[in-house]
Amino acid sequence: MAKVYQDLRSFLSTLEENGQLVRIKEEVNPEPDIAAAGRAAANIENGPAVLFEKVKGYPYSVVTNVHGSWANHALMLGMDKTATTKEQFHEINRRWERFPVKPEILKREEAPCKENTIDKAEDINLFEILPLYRINDQDGGFFLSKASIITADPNEPDNFDKLNVGTYRIQVKGKNRVGIQALAFHDIAIQLEAAERKNEKVPICITVGNSPLVTYMASTPVMYTQNEYEFVGALQDGVPAQIVKSDLYENLYVPAGSEVVLEGYIEPRVREVEGPFGEFPGSYSGARRQCVITITHVTHRTNPIFENLYLGIPWTEIDYLMALNTSVPLYQQIKRDFPEVQAVNAMYTHGMGCIISTKVRFGGFGKEVAFRLLSTPHGGSYSKIIIIVDEFVDPFNLPQVMWALTTRVRPDKDVVVIPNCPGMPLDPSSYPAGMHSKLIIDATTPKDPEPNPREVELLEPPVGYEKYEALIRKLMSEM
Amino acid sequence: MKCPRCDGNKIEVIATSPVGNVWEVYECMDCFYSWRSTETPHIHDKFKLKKEQIDNLQVIPPIPPLDK
Repeated sequence: MAKVYQDLRSFLSTLEENGQLVRIKEEVNPEPDIAAAGRAAANIENGPAVLFEKVKGYPYSVVTNVHGSWANHALMLGMDKTATTKEQFHEINRRWERFPVKPEILKREEAPCKENTIDKAEDINLFEILPLYRINDQDGGFFLSKASIITADPNEPDNFDKLNVGTYRIQVKGKNRVGIQALAFHDIAIQLEAAERKNEKVPICITVGNSPLVTYMASTPVMYTQNEYEFVGALQDGVPAQIVKSDLYENLYVPAGSEVVLEGYIEPRVREVEGPFGEFPGSYSGARRQCVITITHVTHRTNPIFENLYLGIPWTEIDYLMALNTSVPLYQQIKRDFPEVQAVNAMYTHGMGCIISTKVRFGGFGKEVAFRLLSTPHGGSYSKIIIIVDEFVDPFNLPQVMWALTTRVRPDKDVVVIPNCPGMPLDPSSYPAGMHSKLIIDATTPKDPEPNPREVELLEPPVGYEKYEALIRKLMSEM
Repeated sequence: MKCPRCDGNKIEVIATSPVGNVWEVYECMDCFYSWRSTETPHIHDKFKLKKEQIDNLQVIPPIPPLDK
């Protein structure tokens, strides 16, 4: 049984035991030190989480880069820290099949997130609970970049399948007032629209500092009717996620081990300036008028730890967080209809770039697989550059992918551009924001009825190469 | 005090440091830009805002019509 974490703290202990967490004990300034460490950790191969014990003017600590390396990612899954990306991809897929695993609902007195309560809105001061800081220089304020946010469907408030646990950027705008970005194609926007049509508030819980797989699933693009907590249990290899009822709302549940839980509501039909914010494509998204949340109730652990992430030009922590959790659901959704698909690598800028390896049943099959990607809820908007390769090409091995491109593609028939499709508005090449064209490169080998007039035979490795691989490795290790 | 982004003059102190008296955080009530007293904001021209720009910024997500 893989090691399972029900809160952030137990995971931080494991990271530290494995040399994947460093502590900065000296007092630091909120700006620019915390963000600078996030960038620095991402620059280091297998960079560690960085815990700041003392931040000037604040009582509590901050941790960043918790998910920010393949070693940390493997430890999150309870695997050896040397597990390769491809091994982690296949392990997540194996556990994915366990979905749904019903969460365990704890009593209030059993849940660490309820250790301290602030129940009067006028007593709430986010700056006293969270060591808030600016992430990128031109950000419009201080942001929560890694919170897991819980909302329900106003038309079916008790439908647990439609309870949404998602990651949306949050801009702090006052002691108990924050902004949220809810893009039209995000799950939370479905719920927001249903409430705003009736001019009703949207009950919301913002949870900060969670177990690594809660954060992971909150940022995973699963189907609207799939509950994220039930996936956390699946990825914990069958061990249920521990959750607890919100204090304000009977139908909202929060992770029991959260460091901080902010409860309140989205103000209906209100928009005010939010942003800019340095976003995952490595550039700022500008100021827009976006939704506003009033916080009326807070619970938190004693000495809460503020977990936040740095975003910069890829790769930084967010790219590790969104790598396989974008690849796996897309793979699962496509292979349901096309079992020929072997693997999906959607690790590039949240799936904007995507490589799929597949067996080819008939001529044009590669393009058909690409169309299926473009009809998934996430791929439809995000995916823009799609490369399809044969099943013998490993999509996680970029030199192999380049080999397929250079030897399999005839540009006049294998490269197509589809104009005027949905696009990811934060992609700076999307214009107008939210519209884009799609590029499909079919690098698979032609199959009947498509002619293949120069059919070739692939080179096979010489007999006995495995023996020499082992021998050479041994000789090298002895040098 | 003026807002470094929109030149607005409705500036509020939204926080003082919980430990020691080492900083304050200010916020513009027109454009909601916020900054700490220990920072020296230098807003790039492309991110500066004028009143008419604030009123015409894109609304995300669009506000739907009310149900009848």
